[in-house]
Amino acid sequence: MILLTIAAASPSPAPVVPGAGIFTSPLLMSLLVWVPVASAIAIAILPNPRGRYDVLMKQIAFFTNLGLVFILFVAYNQFEAFLPTAQYEEKVPWLQAIGASYHLGVDGPGMVMLILSGLVGIISVLASLGVRERVRSYFCLVLLTQSAINGAIVARDMFVLILFWSAAAVPIAILILGWGGPRRHAAAWRLVGYWGLGTGALVVGTMTLYAAAGGSSFDMDVLLKAAISPRIQIVVAVAMIIAAATRLPLFPLHGWARDVYAEAPIGVTVVVAGSAARLGAYLLLRVVIAAEPAAAHLLSPLLAALAALTVGYAALAALRPIDLRRVGAYLSMIPGGITMLGLAALSPLSIAGSVLSLFAGGMAAALIVGACATLSDRAQSRSLQVLSGLAPRMPIITWLLVIAGFAVLGVPLLGTFLAEMLTFFGAFKNQPIGAFAVAAGLVVAAVALASLFRRILFGPPNPDAPGVSDASLGETWYLALLAGALLWVGVFPSGPKLPGTDTPLFDQGLVNVMAAGISDIASPYTGATPTPAP
Amino acid sequence: MRNLVLAPEALVVAAAVVLLLGGRLGWYRPRARRYLPAAAALVTLVALGVELWAGATLGTYFGGGFVQDRFALFAKAAALLAAAIVLAVADWTAEDSLSIGLAMPLLAAFGVMVAASAGDLVALWAGLELAAAAGVVMVSLRRPDLALRLLVSGGVASSLLLIGLAFLYATAGTSDLTAMRDVLFSGAPTIALAIPLFLAVSGLALRATLAPFHLAGVPASLGASPLGAGLVLGLVAAAAAVVAIKVAAVLNPIPTVFSSYLEVIAAVAMVGGGAAALAVRSPRARMAYLAAGQIGWVAAGLVTHYRAGLAGSLFLLGAFAVAATCGPAVMGRADGGEPALAGMGVLRPARAAGLALAMLSLAGAPPLAGFFGEFAVGAALAQSGHFGLLALGILGSVLSLAAAVGTLRLIYLQSPLEEARRGSALPVLTRLSTLGAVAFCFVIAAYGLLSNPILGLADQGAEALGLR
Repeated sequence: MILLTIAAASPSPAPVVPGAGIFTSPLLMSLLVWVPVASAIAIAILPNPRGRYDVLMKQIAFFTNLGLVFILFVAYNQFEAFLPTAQYEEKVPWLQAIGASYHLGVDGPGMVMLILSGLVGIISVLASLGVRERVRSYFCLVLLTQSAINGAIVARDMFVLILFWSAAAVPIAILILGWGGPRRHAAAWRLVGYWGLGTGALVVGTMTLYAAAGGSSFDMDVLLKAAISPRIQIVVAVAMIIAAATRLPLFPLHGWARDVYAEAPIGVTVVVAGSAARLGAYLLLRVVIAAEPAAAHLLSPLLAALAALTVGYAALAALRPIDLRRVGAYLSMIPGGITMLGLAALSPLSIAGSVLSLFAGGMAAALIVGACATLSDRAQSRSLQVLSGLAPRMPIITWLLVIAGFAVLGVPLLGTFLAEMLTFFGAFKNQPIGAFAVAAGLVVAAVALASLFRRILFGPPNPDAPGVSDASLGETWYLALLAGALLWVGVFPSGPKLPGTDTPLFDQGLVNVMAAGISDIASPYTGATPTPAP
Repeated sequence: MRNLVLAPEALVVAAAVVLLLGGRLGWYRPRARRYLPAAAALVTLVALGVELWAGATLGTYFGGGFVQDRFALFAKAAALLAAAIVLAVADWTAEDSLSIGLAMPLLAAFGVMVAASAGDLVALWAGLELAAAAGVVMVSLRRPDLALRLLVSGGVASSLLLIGLAFLYATAGTSDLTAMRDVLFSGAPTIALAIPLFLAVSGLALRATLAPFHLAGVPASLGASPLGAGLVLGLVAAAAAVVAIKVAAVLNPIPTVFSSYLEVIAAVAMVGGGAAALAVRSPRARMAYLAAGQIGWVAAGLVTHYRAGLAGSLFLLGAFAVAATCGPAVMGRADGGEPALAGMGVLRPARAAGLALAMLSLAGAPPLAGFFGEFAVGAALAQSGHFGLLALGILGSVLSLAAAVGTLRLIYLQSPLEEARRGSALPVLTRLSTLGAVAFCFVIAAYGLLSNPILGLADQGAEALGLR
């Protein structure tokens, strides 16, 4: 019904020839949000006596994600790269009495997040092909999670953002409770607790903004452009930082990350580390950096401190090896810290680095937790006291784990290198202490990774360890896709061109897509620094 | 059209009387179990249809004692919808008496309708008492001791309310709600009025089973049959909330006489309800505390004493009435502790979905009815600057959500137990109950999607109470 309303309400140019303009349909964003829900409902009501159609359920989930990636590919290619405004907008009144509307749309950074979410979605299904128990429920919940993440990305109304932001917690918690490791209960309740705190902070911040802006609309075009006092800006910004810190996660609100990344099933871990967690930085970018420049200036040292503490803590914690999946969990926090450093530096260059880091950092985080989880599964142990000398027996996973480690550190040719380069170039000028601290944290992380690789991959084999096997085809595919995406962005950040020309082939380049949106977001930080009123 | 305005009330009362008389005089054969619930649900649906069609006609009846306005339309429609679904979804093998079980939800809905249309204090009080009496009758069928406790506590609540209303009458010099509001515009808040209103608010909180005034309501709902529990937690609480909204609208010119108490009560209810829901293990008790927490949100909307707040409360009340009334009935017999729900998702998929949605909606989880209602109240709280109350409400909702996730785990992730180990049978499957469960799921899920017209009607309802 809502889709029909949108179709009726949104102006759409009449196609000249049959089929022309179908992908500029006003439903494009709604399709990304509601197609997974429709598939989840189909999976939920499909008869499945004694698990006879488990494979069909997996196929539905896979092809739904493939379809979403196709829609995204079309949207990405038709995206007007140098238009700073939101595109593919849909707007229908929803709760008119309080000024909430069903408003979706996407700008450059949003498109980067959507690409991330689409890729992570399909990778998560590939990583979940080994699920044998309660297949119907599992894939139903995975699809609902993806829908919630896509909805939060494309939301252009704070009400819609809150709706989808908070909706992700329930299916993820149930997935952990139902298919997680031995400490799944603690992991799920911690996730609910921390994310609940973050949602609470988001709601309080939004309501404060809503009240300060006159209490007439939740639309971002109204709320984020309202002239509000610096004090209110600071209150809102602090609330948003808390919300973001619980998601990204940032020290000291990272308490859920270790248990969730270590205990959740692999497919869920990939989604949480890859795209769900990036929503935290995306929220900060959209609501604080883009809309509250006075508060952003005042709080930027705090953001830099949070970034430095997160990277430093994660790197030090990864040095203390006990459990491989926990090491992966700690290492996956590092890209979030780098994203935060870029936002703290408040320069166009560092913000560009942050946006690129949303994508590359999400991929790197998903890759490191995925590789650690797969290695643990295949080696039948996650204890670092047991795992040793695995490289000769697990060559594929070894390669992928090494690439994952490099991705976290930001080694050249990988997307994270470019993101870190932009971030640090921007940050060393505006937040030198924070940037040095984060760089020092990265050095410690490199030591931790080197120590990990030496011990489990290249050390002497442990004769008492259980038997090991290398990655299956499905596991290789999902990890290689992550690594491949990182390589692609690292090698072709502006997309591949016809030799000798500037004509793009099929990809106009992630950097180009995000550029216009970033120039709009960073516009308050290109001139003189505004000083907040006392 | 004007003559049809009273038709829904007439239909509901007539059906209840016929059902009670038929049960008493032995008109029904054992076969009646098959068709009577469907017939009662159908009559209620017809009453709902008539209400939605003819209820838009504004007017006053019985010398101003009965008012038909948008507020009445909204509240009556919500009560009738809740009654229709609960009659359809109930597991009648788990009920103690068919005729009484069918009649009491109708009478409770009638009580809500009378309170919603009340033009003066007497009708307001009468409607609440009628709904509460239906709840006591349902509880007494299974647990006379708990019914007695509910009766005594209800008597205390009633007397507290009457004291407050009497003082209000003495202050305004009239029992007519509109005239009373006009008089209070020129009045000033006094201690002499504030103290009795404190008692009245306490009485209403007791009726609405708001924490910490849930001491009779929640235990009674735990001992009652599923339908009885739904009445006590849902329709009786909804009746109390309707009375509270109307009294709050009357007192709008001098909100300081009650808003401080209500703020404390709402805060305690929201946080206490969520915390208690997380602490208990029995599914029925968990649902009762979730309901107690959500009715705290309804009370929070009244604290704002703005039109948006009262509209938000009314909007949430609609969602609450359906979820809290039908939730225990959807659970049916599977209320004997956590193991009873294990694997319900496999064995009774429609009911399991209904139970999950009821729990999540009462917890305020998106994108269900309760979330939209709580968000509307939250927006009103922000507009009126009650950020502390908003933060406590969110805390309560997070606790409630954690509790609801715990129940979902049981329903969907645990393997079904053997019948012998389960301790109580699962709800019996009938076509009507499955249809009712599906309808319930649809209402809870679609409430948010259709929230624009529903909240619009609630807003008109708040406007009809004289709020700007």
